[in-house]
Amino acid sequence: MSSNEKRLRKRISGFSITTKVIMLIATVVVAIPLYIAVVNAFKTNDAITSAPLAPPLQPTLENLEYVLTNPNVNIGEMYFNSAMIAGFGTVGCILLSAMAAYYLARSRRKSSKNLYMYFLFGLMVPYVIVYVPLVTIFKYMGLMGNLPTLIFVFISGSISFSVFMFYGFIKTVPKELEEAAAIDGASPLRIFWTIIFPLLKPCTTTVAIFIGLSMWNDFMTPLIIGNVKTITVGIYTAIGPYSSDWGTVFAFVLCGSVPIIVAYLLAQKQFISGLTAGALKG
Amino acid sequence: MRKKGKTIRPMALKGNTVSFGFAVPALALYTVLLIVPIIIAFGFSFTSWNGIATTTPKFIGFDNYAAMFQDERLGNAIGVTVTITVVVVVCVNVFGLLLAMLLNHAGKMTNVSRSVFFAPYVLSTVAISFIWLSILSYTGILNSIFEALGWEGLIKNYLGTQQEAIASICVVEIWRTLGFHMVIYLAALQTVPADLYEACTVDGGGRWHKFRYVTLPLITPGITISLLMSIINELRMYDIVKVLTDGGPGYATETITYNIVTQAFGNNMLGYSSAIAVFLFAVIATVAIIQIKVTTKKEVEY
Repeated sequence: MSSNEKRLRKRISGFSITTKVIMLIATVVVAIPLYIAVVNAFKTNDAITSAPLAPPLQPTLENLEYVLTNPNVNIGEMYFNSAMIAGFGTVGCILLSAMAAYYLARSRRKSSKNLYMYFLFGLMVPYVIVYVPLVTIFKYMGLMGNLPTLIFVFISGSISFSVFMFYGFIKTVPKELEEAAAIDGASPLRIFWTIIFPLLKPCTTTVAIFIGLSMWNDFMTPLIIGNVKTITVGIYTAIGPYSSDWGTVFAFVLCGSVPIIVAYLLAQKQFISGLTAGALKG
Repeated sequence: MRKKGKTIRPMALKGNTVSFGFAVPALALYTVLLIVPIIIAFGFSFTSWNGIATTTPKFIGFDNYAAMFQDERLGNAIGVTVTITVVVVVCVNVFGLLLAMLLNHAGKMTNVSRSVFFAPYVLSTVAISFIWLSILSYTGILNSIFEALGWEGLIKNYLGTQQEAIASICVVEIWRTLGFHMVIYLAALQTVPADLYEACTVDGGGRWHKFRYVTLPLITPGITISLLMSIINELRMYDIVKVLTDGGPGYATETITYNIVTQAFGNNMLGYSSAIAVFLFAVIATVAIIQIKVTTKKEVEY
């Protein structure tokens, strides 16, 4: 028995050394494109072509300077638009969805089950279907390129997911607290904001990461609805499809991704669990 | 004994039923900006409308849907989308599961590897597509490396022909989403109780038996979710194609979503593009209904 155990242990440790080597190689391979983008943002185009994988031995800030200071690029405007969309979009969506989910989770009416299904319907819609109607309506009303309109569009597109997440979470919150508050005479609205909403914090964080990131990274919606220069659309139009000025391209990629890279480095666990939550929670 | 549902509740609670008003703001926004546009898109799909505001949409019945069968360009887009979907779905799920199983044994490296694998999924598709454009173009980094190594035979435009461009798009998409699926599988694997493996060892089962008779049945819910999510995701493919090839060469790498956008806003065929969008909706809704059924069903416990 003991020799068997030894053999088993040996096999497990052998297994884990091969495993570590394979994982190391795989991790390096996956990281290479990211490495290329970072190091080459600090090189001249000649240096990129002659030694693309080398670290920047004579680093230049030329590329970054072009991206950050060129008035035609106007990266400040892109940041502003993306921040407004991701900020107001996320907050707005969370407030509206949490309230709606609270009603759906607590209501004993039969119609509320159907209403919940109505909200979930949005999860199965390929978003491309609404572009033609929305662009038609917005053109008619003169709302193309209007930032607040775009924010409302983003909120409407994330309500299904947020309601789905909040609904599941609120179902696990015990009713006793709100019942006690009701006896003390607090109004439903006050009960929600002072008692329920703070309890939803873990779910709120998850939803905020998921929809905030998807709004910040979205490309199609700001491109098609209103041609608003967000980070993604701005980078796309500034580089153009046929550029081969790779130094500038990497600088654009880097400048556009800095907030996400920093946030990801600071809170990897929350990012990973937030972005997979939709798949893992049912 | 009092039954659980029949506990006497204080009178004050009668006023505590959450009012429908809580749902109204979300309901209004969701209906006006999502549901109504979908209904309008259905309506448009039966017209030959070209988007010029002064003309009224003309009702043409199912002509748009009939025309879809004759549309070679759409046929190509469906073929491209299906190819990308099959290749990416198989690769991310097979490699995602393999990596997750390795990572489960990797000890201290687990966290670093997981963070690196997941990183592409966090960045915007536009940003990562431009990184890959700079690698795969004719003047790009891959060819520079081949030149430096003297492998002239490998130097070519990796986005130049339909086959190569589709392969490139698949590589980028696999690279982007592999970490996501790996994390889903990792979570699924961690739900498998260790004593079941021990039981399998005691019964004389080898590594393959453990995988086949313990791991696989227990992570089936995870596999289903991961599969369905990747299918839905790839059927909607747009961003990477837009940046890497812009649908080209010609329209060889157009996906269905790309085709809808081009027909609508490039060729002003709003009625026809809405019909294609309704078709895509029907396909994705079918997969999504299966997904919702699976996610809302309680996982099987062993």
